[in-house]
Amino acid sequence: MTQEISSLMDGELGAQEAGIAVQACCASEERKETWYLYHVIGDAMRGQAPRRLAFPTQVIDSLKAQPTVLAPRRPLSTTLARVAFAAAASVATIGVVGWIGGQGGQGPAGPMVAKSDSNLQPVASTTTLPAAQPAPDLQQYLVAHRQIPSPEFYRQVDNRVPARAR
Amino acid sequence: MRVAAVASGRRLIPALALGVACAAQGAPGNDPLAWLQRAMQAARTATYSGTYVHSNGGRTSTVRITHANVGKEEQERIEPLDGMPYDIVRRNDDMFCYFPDAKTVRVDRRVTARFFPAIIEGTPEAVASSYEVKLGRAENVLEYNCQWIQLEPRDALRFPQALCSEVNSGLVLRAKTFNAQRQVIEQYTFTDFKMGSGAAVRPDVKSIFEARVKRWITDSQPRDEAKSVDTGWAVSDLPPGFRKLAELKRNLPGRPAPVSQLVFSDGVASLSVFVEPNSPPPRTADASSEDGTTAFYVRPMGETLVTVLGEVPLGTAERFARSVARRP
Repeated sequence: MTQEISSLMDGELGAQEAGIAVQACCASEERKETWYLYHVIGDAMRGQAPRRLAFPTQVIDSLKAQPTVLAPRRPLSTTLARVAFAAAASVATIGVVGWIGGQGGQGPAGPMVAKSDSNLQPVASTTTLPAAQPAPDLQQYLVAHRQIPSPEFYRQVDNRVPARAR
Repeated sequence: MRVAAVASGRRLIPALALGVACAAQGAPGNDPLAWLQRAMQAARTATYSGTYVHSNGGRTSTVRITHANVGKEEQERIEPLDGMPYDIVRRNDDMFCYFPDAKTVRVDRRVTARFFPAIIEGTPEAVASSYEVKLGRAENVLEYNCQWIQLEPRDALRFPQALCSEVNSGLVLRAKTFNAQRQVIEQYTFTDFKMGSGAAVRPDVKSIFEARVKRWITDSQPRDEAKSVDTGWAVSDLPPGFRKLAELKRNLPGRPAPVSQLVFSDGVASLSVFVEPNSPPPRTADASSEDGTTAFYVRPMGETLVTVLGEVPLGTAERFARSVARRP
């Protein structure tokens, strides 16, 4: 059953299979917890883990009220990530300075994951720009400074220079 | 899961745990600099693998790391787990970045790139000239006994830092950077960690895309640019503790000519000074931003544009930007 739950989360099941999986999933407390746990793991891997983990039954209740979680996850998150990145890159604020040059672009992420005692505080980023001047393209300097190009950035470079040998 | 042999000290009170830490094999007693030295060395020489979460300002990313030391060669693979797929393989200072979507291997030579847990670049003595190095409390991280090493800056030019060093190996399992208000603005923390034989690292660390690269493009331009040149520019009033690591010319996208880059470090924090023509429409006023540990300061100087970016307080970036001058 855990495989079905995993596939359901990944949006890999058809409508009928998804319906069966949801019914089976909600039929047992153990499976509900599996469903919850998989989401927490997924969120933690994406750096979006909540600061405090809610009690599983509360989460299941809130999931019941949000049927959209059954929408295919992968294409959605990919699209959002790209849109977010494009927006970040175009305004070139310092908000794009992730560890690795702005890749991912999930937007503001909740601090820290399980096992962390973090008291990390989201300190407001500040930007001072004179009027009528475009924001500097911070991303390029960031890539040069850290020597870690984001794949998105690199693809832009690749598009400018045609492939030499395939 | 656990590799380290120290299990008994796990639930002891911190003071007692420190005693356990100091008694552990190879632990360097109460000498903070020795702890720092060992933490830096372990990051280079030990074999380990794991996953860590890095938060800086408003952003968080998750990274898998595999590290081995073969002969005198450091081998490392960095796999960011968020966003588009790619990885970086490092052999000492040679870096190979694999982009499966662009079917490209980007080759570069390390100048500024730092990967946790090897985030300290300078010698302990160089670090100690800019930071007071102290031992903090003991802490249990992922069931390993760890000792906090605190780096307290001797002036306002840099951020306070703290490293949580595993007592047996010295490896840093958690690191934090604070602002002047003692808020955590950056943190690295392993969420899964194995070392030694338990890490199951093969001695020839390769890209996870290695089997597919046969017909990929190799872009060696970044490596060619990583050679020292005389840019004709200098920072005239170098803030104390900082030294110049490199002076390069880099091609940035959309620029007709290479941009001059001067790299500085105090052994812990680094920053780059970029100098280029103030191309039309020219900038006329300073601009700045900061987020987490990253400060960004742009200063037009007539026909020249100076941009400073680094892991320093904004005031430090501004001070560098205002000290850029033609080399006499």
